[in-house]
Amino acid sequence: MRRSPVWLRLLVLVYVGALVALPLGFIFQQAFAHGVASFVSALSDPEMDKAMELTALVALVAVPLNAVFGIGVSLWIVRHPSRITRLLDALIDVPLALSPIIVGLMLELAYAQSGWFGHPLAAWGIKIVFSYPGIVLASVFVSLPLVSRQLTPLLREVGTHQEQTAATLGAGPVRIFFTVTLRSITWAAAYGITLTLARVIGEYGAVLIVSGNISYLTETLTLNIGNNFENFNAHQGFVGASLLATVSVLVLLALGFARHRERQRHEYRH
Amino acid sequence: MSIAIRGISKQFGQATVLREISDEVPQGSMTALLGPSGSGKSTLLRIIAGLETHDAGTIELNGRDVTGVPVRHRNIGFCFQDYAPFNQLTVFDNVAYGLKVHRVAKADRRRRVEELLGLVRLEEFSDRYPRQLSGGQRQRMALARALAIEPEVLLLDEPFAALDAQVGGELRTWVRSLQREVGITTILVTHNQVEAMEVADRLVILNDGRIEQVGTPHEVYDRPATAFVQGFLGPLTTWRGTSVRPHDLELGRDGAGTSVEVSDVVRLGFEVRVVVRDGAEAPWVQLTHDEAARLNPVVGESLVLRPRQ
Repeated sequence: MRRSPVWLRLLVLVYVGALVALPLGFIFQQAFAHGVASFVSALSDPEMDKAMELTALVALVAVPLNAVFGIGVSLWIVRHPSRITRLLDALIDVPLALSPIIVGLMLELAYAQSGWFGHPLAAWGIKIVFSYPGIVLASVFVSLPLVSRQLTPLLREVGTHQEQTAATLGAGPVRIFFTVTLRSITWAAAYGITLTLARVIGEYGAVLIVSGNISYLTETLTLNIGNNFENFNAHQGFVGASLLATVSVLVLLALGFARHRERQRHEYRH
Repeated sequence: MSIAIRGISKQFGQATVLREISDEVPQGSMTALLGPSGSGKSTLLRIIAGLETHDAGTIELNGRDVTGVPVRHRNIGFCFQDYAPFNQLTVFDNVAYGLKVHRVAKADRRRRVEELLGLVRLEEFSDRYPRQLSGGQRQRMALARALAIEPEVLLLDEPFAALDAQVGGELRTWVRSLQREVGITTILVTHNQVEAMEVADRLVILNDGRIEQVGTPHEVYDRPATAFVQGFLGPLTTWRGTSVRPHDLELGRDGAGTSVEVSDVVRLGFEVRVVVRDGAEAPWVQLTHDEAARLNPVVGESLVLRPRQ
């Protein structure tokens, strides 16, 4: 293959550098601006630790929920197409198109104690808005299509012949799902789940509205970072931001590596 | 009787795909379901396998009524046109899949897989992944995988359609000898009459959801039961208002017959087609390379056309 011209490569480097690499580096530079000792002591800030714990707890529930939902819904859309699945296919993208702030407002309207669903739920003693379930709900909502969008085209391409072959060889539905269906979508699902994780731990707008942003109670890591900047506690904010960025970059690197390995294993023989 | 098909009917919505199909496939035979696309042949194969439901009729395998028995309990081997390899598994694990399902002990499994890979000549490929194989190798892997569970019958859906002509031809010969070696009752679906006659010892010719004729390749070719079968199995030409095989006509320089004018000569290697004009009709005659060389027909000249003796 011919190499692209030098000016084009330079332009791309400058563009990506100015947009991604430099600002990301800037966050780390600021986090360590007062030395490593100061960074380490900022790590044990009790409010930030509590916020990290909440973010982890939210991700722990929201990501598996959307993984199962995403796999189930894309199997349904691909394998049993109907008018309902066509509607579902269109609706499932809504969370991506809507601004998170609107998502937050929608959920608050519906699930606040005076809202449509919130009112009867409150009568049962279940509180959604301004508490943990509301944050999970907002996180699930904003990352809803990320798994199924990876899987639907792949499932169409893979088809059902492998599964039917497994059935002729004596395999039952559960075995077929785990040994054939899931294995052929593993990496696409892993990619979608990673995107979901990144989106869930990084969500700000929808969570801000639904959670009420209450310190030590409904303050996630992203909210904590925002709060620190607003309260003129910039260094603590940069430390939080550097942690969040590190997690995201690590997750993406791990996935890139896994994809690379998978592709190598399946390289065509020429 | 190894496979008994009794009065199978199938509708897809408003469309009738199969109309009361009945046939008995003898033990150890190689039967081809032959027909144009849309004739219902693939649907019938899928119904025999249990991959498709049917509206009426029964299927028996070796005297056992399997109507309503789920596919995994039918003990059949099925190969798709695209071979449906398990792409995430090695060739070895593909072949071992059915043995694992049937809880065959590990040592026996290994021995059996190696035996099968030997049978399909893929011994050196056991650690490869399906994507590293050629089309023909993938098909042989699919056959070994299907044979691993020692099925009662082997069902092949358009097994050679995805291969180029040369590989397909080699594999046809090979599949035929493999089937004889294993002795397994086999049904294959194809739209290609040459392929069907080459591989199968028994043809079931389907058209529009009905069986047109059943017989050996020789029988159906020489004594077609219907006009459809006659037209589908080989070339036809019209002379004196009736359909005849172009190789049943003869051209000469003299003797009895009708005087015709040569309008075209098409040379296809071994086969030479001579198109002639007889009044309003333009029948063509199929000659071998040697016959054409002796006659040496030239466009525009007059020859004598008659039925071959």
